[in-house]
Amino acid sequence: MAMRHSLAERTGAYVIASGFAIFAAFPLLWTLLTSLKIERDIIARGIRLLPSPATLANYVSVWTQSNLPALMWNSTVTAALTVITCVAAGTLASYSVSRQRFRGRPQFLLFYLVLRMFPLVLMVIPLFVILRAVGLLDTRTGLALAYTGFQLPIFIWMMKGFFDVIPGELEEAAYIDGCTRLGAMWLVVLPLVRGGLFSCAVFIGIGAWNEYLFALMLTTSVGSRTWPVGLQLMVGEFQLPWGTLCAGGVLSILPVLALFAFVQRTMVRGLAAGAVKG
Amino acid sequence: MGQYRQRDRVTLPLQHRHTPTFGRRLASLSEGPAWPYLLLLPSLVLVFVAIIYPTFTGIDFSFRQMRLNRMDLSTGYNWFRNYELLWQDPVFWLSLKNTVVWVLATALLELALGMLAALALDYELPGFRVLAVIVLLPWFMPVVVAGNIWALLLDFRVGLINAILVNIGVLDDYKAWLADPAWAMPAAILVEAWHGFPFFALLLLAGLKGVPDALYEAAAVDGASLWHRFVHIQLPSLRTIIVASVVLRAISLMNAPDLLLVLTDGGPGRSTEVLSLYAFQKAYREFNFGYAGALSVVMFLLLMVASFLYVRASNVLKEA
Repeated sequence: MAMRHSLAERTGAYVIASGFAIFAAFPLLWTLLTSLKIERDIIARGIRLLPSPATLANYVSVWTQSNLPALMWNSTVTAALTVITCVAAGTLASYSVSRQRFRGRPQFLLFYLVLRMFPLVLMVIPLFVILRAVGLLDTRTGLALAYTGFQLPIFIWMMKGFFDVIPGELEEAAYIDGCTRLGAMWLVVLPLVRGGLFSCAVFIGIGAWNEYLFALMLTTSVGSRTWPVGLQLMVGEFQLPWGTLCAGGVLSILPVLALFAFVQRTMVRGLAAGAVKG
Repeated sequence: MGQYRQRDRVTLPLQHRHTPTFGRRLASLSEGPAWPYLLLLPSLVLVFVAIIYPTFTGIDFSFRQMRLNRMDLSTGYNWFRNYELLWQDPVFWLSLKNTVVWVLATALLELALGMLAALALDYELPGFRVLAVIVLLPWFMPVVVAGNIWALLLDFRVGLINAILVNIGVLDDYKAWLADPAWAMPAAILVEAWHGFPFFALLLLAGLKGVPDALYEAAAVDGASLWHRFVHIQLPSLRTIIVASVVLRAISLMNAPDLLLVLTDGGPGRSTEVLSLYAFQKAYREFNFGYAGALSVVMFLLLMVASFLYVRASNVLKEA
């Protein structure tokens, strides 16, 4: 709303907005604070906000005494494979449904939309059997293939929002200049959606980095296990101390925060466009 | 410079028509009627391999006896045996009931929180852009971290929430929220609401930005109160977004058992057992893929009803 508001109204808006920001951020801040505390302070009853003395021992122990580095490397490889496949196949598909006119186009759009609503459990159970049959169970490639499946429809719908806003005259002008349709796509349209493409890629990457359920089912060994599965296993099996767990949590969300901060504005537009077209 | 080089690469082959390079073939292919379909092809192959084929395999499993840890049993068809067992399984009915509670309560709580946050953030006062980004953060947090940090906050020995509630006199003593059958579900709903309300805040804020200022000005002239502005201007403008986002979120809540898996694993007892979690446990713990398949097929049918509602409600294909 771009209009004048009374002081009371503005104060109210500040109170509510800040309240939500605190509600959203506090658990994350608490993770950070806990990761810097010594064990005695963590298990003490009562309210103790700040770490005193502050320590980095939890970070040292989670990095050197668990296999978190290897787990995070597996997640990186899996996420990268997912992003590359989604960007390559999804950009072409999204371009097609957004900027080409052809028979069956609404049906293809509906198809990709309905795919987003397939139950993940119904996919992950047979994927276990299928990937085992082709030797891709417990590999990063197999997991990335599974991720690509359910991320691709989201990617196509998000990218469509960025493609849709480009005026069609641009391509027509390119055709008149003798450009082929391939040329118009590659030289005229794709450079214009670079920002959107990047933010959609980040969105897919964060999704693959965070994913837990498929990774739990489809990876079993340290060679391919991703960090969410590894961290949760440590919690369950080795009764990971809270401080160490929080340090692991902070380390694993750092890449997410960094990437998110980098692209949040474009990504927000893409999410809004891709999720609901109102 | 880079632009020119790329341009040459595509147009050159057209001039030298006798050298059929890959680029030229692709360029001439792009002039044909099959081009839009060719662009779709890679994605269609991928979703076929990773979604369609597994889904139909899963439906096939549901008609078979598939117990992967029992090599002595065959994996032949037993047709509707899994569905019969399911019908008689009290845990199925309980998790169906829990699913309804879980999905409805969480989605509505998230909608309420997201609406309030969006209404406040729509004022566009100094600093609100930063606040809006902070509000979005939980949506991008991995469930493993979100689940564990809330488990710490709610812990019955060291949890901060217990400490605060005891301090202000609401509670007499620390409470084991997630281990109490009466409180585990509400606690899990709170955690999921924290995780998911930014989704609504984001979409509703985008919707509010689209409300024309003229409407607000007219309302201001009429001396409309905040409540009137909400009911008569903002709410009607957001109707489509509200319906669409609630259905979409309900689908993803029905679909994904991750957070409950981390937080409660369906317990204590079966108090937080939902359908997706039950199906996953049947497959992951008991290797009973046939039964898990039948449970997922039931979910599939429920989800298809929900997505039909979504498509109808959102008019998502209206101008497509």
